[in-house]
Amino acid sequence: MNRTALIVGVLVITPLLIFLALSFRSDPRDIESPLIGKTAPLFTLQDLDGNVYSLEELRGQPVVINFWATWCQPCIVEHPVLVAASRRYEGRVTFLGVIYNDKPELIRKFVRQMGAWGPSLIDEDVSVAIAYGVYGAPETFFIDATGTIVDKATGAVSPQYLVNLLEGMLSS
Amino acid sequence: MTTINRPLLLFALLLTALGAISATAQPQALGVEGQALIGEPKGRPLSGEELERVTNEVSSLMRCPVCQGLSVADSPTPSAVAMKEEVRQFLAAGYTETQILTYFEQSYGEFIRLEPKAKGFNLLVWILPIAGLLAGLALVMRRVKQPAATEAQDDAPTTVDPDLEVYLEQVRREVSS
Repeated sequence: MNRTALIVGVLVITPLLIFLALSFRSDPRDIESPLIGKTAPLFTLQDLDGNVYSLEELRGQPVVINFWATWCQPCIVEHPVLVAASRRYEGRVTFLGVIYNDKPELIRKFVRQMGAWGPSLIDEDVSVAIAYGVYGAPETFFIDATGTIVDKATGAVSPQYLVNLLEGMLSS
Repeated sequence: MTTINRPLLLFALLLTALGAISATAQPQALGVEGQALIGEPKGRPLSGEELERVTNEVSSLMRCPVCQGLSVADSPTPSAVAMKEEVRQFLAAGYTETQILTYFEQSYGEFIRLEPKAKGFNLLVWILPIAGLLAGLALVMRRVKQPAATEAQDDAPTTVDPDLEVYLEQVRREVSS
């Protein structure tokens, strides 16, 4: 085979293969959220009992927003972690759950059985999930007292991660 | 000392109470304050068939975040349907394609664009296929030219050693007889 053709072929195909390999390996949920370091999108939602929550009114202390659903296995895994954290940081951190593509009656039943770590807000038109760039459940956003998103976790959060992050947010 | 007109005072109190009631009775808009992120609409509000057509056009430029390689226009998932509905609402309110894509890009990053912007590292996606095509064309051209050159070389008149000319002539005679 012509030596020049081989070299040109390798030079053209190798970068393409590397590019494709890297792209296929990356999970879109692992892409860092462009919202980190920016003001959290404001929203107003109702919980299962009709109580209205406005994010703007919660400024002044850290807020944890967790997008979850009963069909999501990692959400069930992290549920006790969030219950424990909400008790530990009661009065210092607000925990909000946003229902992601699930039926309120299923959430109500689940919470009755497993306990609640915060209000479960109904995002009927999925607009809040879209504004937060949610790819799936669970995704957790950490918002500081000024309303800035400081971190985002995809998948079930571990107790250690949660405590480290919240302690950092409370001490700053 | 000033005297207070009692009927007037009652009327004023009634007006204040009514105002307070109407303020609290106003339904609070639920959802996200998306408009705050992209400012005022820069286009004209669309409606009817045009709204549907442009909604499909803009949605087809967006990647469904919960699918594999599907656009928002093509995906039946609840998230994609909701995104398409948001696109429709934005267009109906007069937001432009650029404003809408910017809005979704603020939450999902450039990932939301099915076709990445032609700048920075992304330029490779645009340049490499063209470079590959040009390289391929160059190779084909070279291949096409090479046999022609060889044939031309074969047809070129050859110089024969005068000492061998006698034998060559003999061969020619034998072949022709």
